[in-house]
Amino acid sequence: MGELHRLTMVSGVLAAALLTAPAFGQAPSSTPNPAEEHDHAAPEAHPAPEAGFKRTPAAADAYVYIGWPNDNETIRTTHIRVWFGTRNFGVAPAGTYRPNTGHHHLLIDTALPPLDQPIPNDKNHLHFGLGQTETVIDLPPGTHTLQILMGDGDHVPHDPPLMSKKITVHIRATDNRVAAER
Amino acid sequence: MKQRRLLALVSAVLAATGLAATGGIAMADPKPMPDNAKVYIIWPMDGQVIPGGKFWVRMGLSNAGVAPAGIVKPNTGHHHLLVDADLPPLDQEIPSDKHHLHYGLGQTEARLELPPGRHTLQLLLADDSHVPHDPPLYSKKITIIVPP
Repeated sequence: MGELHRLTMVSGVLAAALLTAPAFGQAPSSTPNPAEEHDHAAPEAHPAPEAGFKRTPAAADAYVYIGWPNDNETIRTTHIRVWFGTRNFGVAPAGTYRPNTGHHHLLIDTALPPLDQPIPNDKNHLHFGLGQTETVIDLPPGTHTLQILMGDGDHVPHDPPLMSKKITVHIRATDNRVAAER
Repeated sequence: MKQRRLLALVSAVLAATGLAATGGIAMADPKPMPDNAKVYIIWPMDGQVIPGGKFWVRMGLSNAGVAPAGIVKPNTGHHHLLVDADLPPLDQEIPSDKHHLHYGLGQTEARLELPPGRHTLQLLLADDSHVPHDPPLYSKKITIIVPP
């Protein structure tokens, strides 16, 4: 309990520090056809990693993206299936250390955490350490942001880090079905 | 240590009764999967027409995880894409050839180039050693059309 409390506090401090940091640039982009191509995060300037955890290299052509929902989509339910896209890269559970693999973390309503440390584990930073490639989340009505950040076997972002574009979704709950159910 | 040995013994007994129940098919070590796990092709859609025949296949897996070949972890597996092929025997390693594509790094997307005509695509998940799970997890077999 004490540890949890401390963790929460640390996360809070980190979040506060991030809030004061300049917002990460977000290149405007047209909404892609969801069936064919999805855009992904353009390489952006990120703070140089400080000496910290050893970071796992990632292939230069690897990228991750949110396959669904689309950026700026209005969704009429609070249960949302989020679909993790990964290209030129493999998915592997936490605790495994194969080159060019990692597992997804879904950042909800939060900025990127420090990229040279394990990704926090809380309600704003969901871990998918089994190697899941999709999830269903509940979001209250309103506007929310979603972003995927890949982590290595130890939950530390790769070098260069693999992250999706940060997208915005608008929740207007009118029914209880899971959106994007297929 | 003692506990582990007991566990091994229990597993062995369970395996033996399992073998008896299935009629003695040699299944080395059936890997568990959640009952609600599901494999499906996200894209293309069944019946999709794809001019040029070059496209990315997007592989969907619900309620389970993806792990590279060789990684032993319950409730995980890796994708195999069957192109113009029926399901192979489900109690053996999936063949590796141009009709049975392996994604042993844990990939969830694959670039395909198919000649004009009708083609079928089907996903089959398999465990660390490329053997389908028990029960097997495979997608609906879909057809795509590449116009001449």
